[in-house]
Amino acid sequence: MSSVAQPFSEVAAVARPFASVLERVEAWHESLSALLGSTGGNPTVAQVDALIESLVVPDLSERDTLIVGAGFVCAPGFLSSAPWHLSWWLGKFNSFGAIGRGGVTRRLEASEDPGSDSFRDYTLLEWWRVPVESGMPHITGPYVDYLCTDEYTLTLTVPVYHAGALVGVIGADMYAEDVERALLPALRAINGGATLVNRVARVVVSTDPHRATGSLYREEGLLATLKSLDTLAVRNIAPVLWGGTSLALLLELVTA
Amino acid sequence: MPQSTRARSAARAAVFAPLDGAGRAEVVERRLSDAILLGLLAPGERLPSEADLSRQFNVATVTAREALESLRGRGLVQTRRGRGGGSFVRSKSDAHLEVIEERVRGISRVELRDLGVHFAALAAMSAELAAERASGDDVEGLERLVASFARDTDGAARRAENTFRLEVAALSQSARLVRELLRLQAEFGPVLWLNLRDQRYRDRSAERQAAVVTAIAAADPAAARRATLEHIDEAVECLVDAKAELEARSP
Repeated sequence: MSSVAQPFSEVAAVARPFASVLERVEAWHESLSALLGSTGGNPTVAQVDALIESLVVPDLSERDTLIVGAGFVCAPGFLSSAPWHLSWWLGKFNSFGAIGRGGVTRRLEASEDPGSDSFRDYTLLEWWRVPVESGMPHITGPYVDYLCTDEYTLTLTVPVYHAGALVGVIGADMYAEDVERALLPALRAINGGATLVNRVARVVVSTDPHRATGSLYREEGLLATLKSLDTLAVRNIAPVLWGGTSLALLLELVTA
Repeated sequence: MPQSTRARSAARAAVFAPLDGAGRAEVVERRLSDAILLGLLAPGERLPSEADLSRQFNVATVTAREALESLRGRGLVQTRRGRGGGSFVRSKSDAHLEVIEERVRGISRVELRDLGVHFAALAAMSAELAAERASGDDVEGLERLVASFARDTDGAARRAENTFRLEVAALSQSARLVRELLRLQAEFGPVLWLNLRDQRYRDRSAERQAAVVTAIAAADPAAARRATLEHIDEAVECLVDAKAELEARSP
């Protein structure tokens, strides 16, 4: 990948909150791979659930974590006794379905029966589709997730393989408002201001208070630039592209 | 995490969101009956057990039982005993229509119009924002969704309407709009789309959705708003007509 501006320390600081979430996800990934190895790629549903619960629940209970939901979603047919299996937990700060209750870490109840009306083929969704196609970590969103967090959310997912075959994706949800709080100080430290956008040029967070999170950064040629991960073709904006996360940081160039 | 290409399970999640306040059995009953009428709970589908319902709604078991009994009394669910037993959604669409008609009679014309205004405000703002904020991928997803809708029965067409509204609201990028719309749809959805009994309006609904999608694709907020308002106005006018007719039939 080519990048126009060299990443410098201020830019690295913006990446840090995501990097720390990615680090947790990769740590779970490693433990899951170990289980896959010790079971010959054939774990039971109970083994997967017990492992994922033991991995994600402590992280979901951390006080200052960005992670509000986390787990492992199986590739269809990977677990023969549960062809569509979601092993996903919601943190105690996750308000989904918790009106007047909340405050407890709990498992997401999802329909795994393809015959049921509430069943959803998650392999069509961005958080599945994109990382599985690219083989890389991917951040979906921000998007209104009214199925799981009930909030404006970003989802980081990483594909998981065993013996060269896809077995599922592992990942974590973050609230957009928490991401804003975590990123703004680092963005403000960048001279001239900066806007973090996703691959469709949707604003994640910006130093410009009038660039709303969720709005599109409309600029001639920007979409093509983001798509091709190519060099700058955009007037006054220098995109710094981050390998793997599919997010880009747009730096407003300071003209003397 | 799971994203909203299909709004159905989202709406279902809202169905089982915990309750607080008085008259809980009635509220549980209303939520479940609305979900059945909306088609969120499908004919033949098993409802959660009394224990699960009481846990999910955060009410006493006896309250959940009371709500189920009353749904049985109205012919919306039936209970089977033994292994594989439980409460199942009945498939008698006549019973469903009767319940909807009963609700339409029970709501004053003033209240119906006010619900229409509230719903139109949320839906129009959603469409307007969606036109500003939808990416090319979003538009493609919406087109695929609209093309996938079955519209051969009133239940299917109602589901299509609800799913479409929620998906457009999600494209607005506003979690509050989505939550409000989900709540209002659960309360008002079955009644508002009474006109979808008629195939003519089911075709019309497809046309109107296509017009909204076109406006969103063209990034034309004013057109998206206009198409949405026209569609909802029309449904409300049909609804007050239907109410007048019902009342004339048996005052």
